[in-house]
Amino acid sequence: MIAEIVEAIKIASRSLMQHKLRSGLSVLGVVCGVMAVLAMIAVGEGTKEKTLKQIGELGIRNIFVKAVSLSDEQVQIARELLSEGLRFYDRERILSVVPDVEDIACLKEVRAAVISAVNIEFSPQIIACSANYASIQRLHISEGRFLNNQDIEGNQLVCAIGGDVAHKLGINGQIGKFLRIENELFKIVGILDRFYRDQEAITTMAIRNVNEMVLIPLGAENLLTKREEVQNIQSLTELIVLIKSAEKVFRAGEVIKRTLDLSHNGVKDYQIIIPLELLRQAQRTQRIFNLVLGAIATISLLVGGIGIMNIMLASVSERTKEIGIRRALGATRMDIILQFLAEAFMMTLMGGCIGIITGIANAFIISKVAGWKTSVTFPAIFLPLVMSVCVGLFFGLYPAVKAAKMDPIKALRTE
Amino acid sequence: MNFPVIEALHIEKSYLMGYSILPVLNGVEIRVERGEFVAIMGPSGSGKSTLLHILGCLDRPDTGSYHIEGHNVLSATDSELSKIRATQIGFVFQSFNLLSALNVFENVRLPFSYSRIEKGEARDRVENAIAKVGLTHRIKHRPAELSGGELQRAAIARALVIEPKIILADEPTGNLDSKTGIEIMNLFQKLHHEGATIIMISHNHQIANHAQRVIELMDGRIINK
Repeated sequence: MIAEIVEAIKIASRSLMQHKLRSGLSVLGVVCGVMAVLAMIAVGEGTKEKTLKQIGELGIRNIFVKAVSLSDEQVQIARELLSEGLRFYDRERILSVVPDVEDIACLKEVRAAVISAVNIEFSPQIIACSANYASIQRLHISEGRFLNNQDIEGNQLVCAIGGDVAHKLGINGQIGKFLRIENELFKIVGILDRFYRDQEAITTMAIRNVNEMVLIPLGAENLLTKREEVQNIQSLTELIVLIKSAEKVFRAGEVIKRTLDLSHNGVKDYQIIIPLELLRQAQRTQRIFNLVLGAIATISLLVGGIGIMNIMLASVSERTKEIGIRRALGATRMDIILQFLAEAFMMTLMGGCIGIITGIANAFIISKVAGWKTSVTFPAIFLPLVMSVCVGLFFGLYPAVKAAKMDPIKALRTE
Repeated sequence: MNFPVIEALHIEKSYLMGYSILPVLNGVEIRVERGEFVAIMGPSGSGKSTLLHILGCLDRPDTGSYHIEGHNVLSATDSELSKIRATQIGFVFQSFNLLSALNVFENVRLPFSYSRIEKGEARDRVENAIAKVGLTHRIKHRPAELSGGELQRAAIARALVIEPKIILADEPTGNLDSKTGIEIMNLFQKLHHEGATIIMISHNHQIANHAQRVIELMDGRIINK
């Protein structure tokens, strides 16, 4: 059998070489199909990787509880219902009521400006946070140290600054220098690692851009706020609840929601974001995307396959005489089937290979021009290739069988 | 046991033409011994091509028996018939039937695509066959570059290469001028003297007379013995 297949491939490649243009044109459909499938898988994989990375940065064991700014009307209702927004007190409640909580970080956005010595347009976000913020969000310190509990308890005027902030401040952004925020001087004790976060993630997933932050100890912000806002002393912008294990996140999220509903008297002045849930959603979306992709791939390869069948039928009827001669010289029906199948197989394999090369080029161009992340993985190459070869064998079978079934005498008589 | 190379008895064959049955062969009996050179003569429509196709295992008779060296051919399956054609029967056609994409060497080698043979031996046998018909100087030429006589020589080499039990020639000089035709006949004579068994069909008396024995066919019956 192997000898026969080798022989069939020899004959087929010869016949393909004889009709280079025709073979080339007829595999065009397969080329386009494979190219499209590959490019789509590459884009899909790229998007998936990016989403997973973004969500991963939020931390899959975390639950974010964020204060929501209310409209005047809603504020009125909230007052009537005696809800005071997200407050430090909510942290205590969650800690005492919700099971499996490992730690909770508190964040408060401070509306104050950095007055820098060098006069540049410069407005980093000032955030008052608890000492565990760095560990929960896995922030890395490149120099110095992060804020600690002594800073918070002692109301120390210290700060840790983001990489971009340090960079913009230049020599004034070094450890031990002082940063002026409103009328107070904060000593810089730590500089955070500068790391890449694409702008899209910051906007779509509301990830804080740590690079442009100035972090001060929670409590210190009271020195910066104006007197009329002092009533908000206890309020918070964000709680990050770290759960002991990923499996318990959903249940904990549910309990947090109920707890806060109760203590806020039903006022929706907070929102709960669970990265793990976002991840699940992304995976569901990915599954739908894959399904659509599969359908498109099937259609395009089907079209390619019909093209192959068409040309194979033409080839069979054109070579009727040859089939007759080969049969007279001792070719069995199987030999003839193998010969034409090998031809279809080689055409689609060739088309598949060209498709892969152009597809990879395509994915590269897409990522350059459209700025989408693409990722050419092993299945992105292997899957369309296998599919195209299967298409070749499937659509080549009918013409091949047709050729083999010919009456050799009639085939010999044709001119 | 000494069987005749070919022994076909009571061969009947008819074709369905539209709604009527057209009998082509009516009880033909033919026996060919090893080393014979037999011509089958008859006008067109006498059934000689059909007989040749049956003898060449390309077609099956409706009734009758057919043995090659004592082996019953008619009980063979389609692929077994292919095997017989590949190893025991050499065809020579009126219109040569060489593949235009292949050169002389490749055309002559073609039967070995369908019978297992060691590569080096195949090459030797192909070269010998080509030498035997006197085409060694044309070995790398394509059919389009050859004359009619050369084409038929190449086709004969292709029939010889498998060292067949019988060579079946279907009007081998039909497409050639008379001078070339005689050359081809001389080649057949030479092969015959070297021991080949040849069955040739022709409607031309002069050509048929090159054979050792002439069988005349008329309306699907043999009219001389």
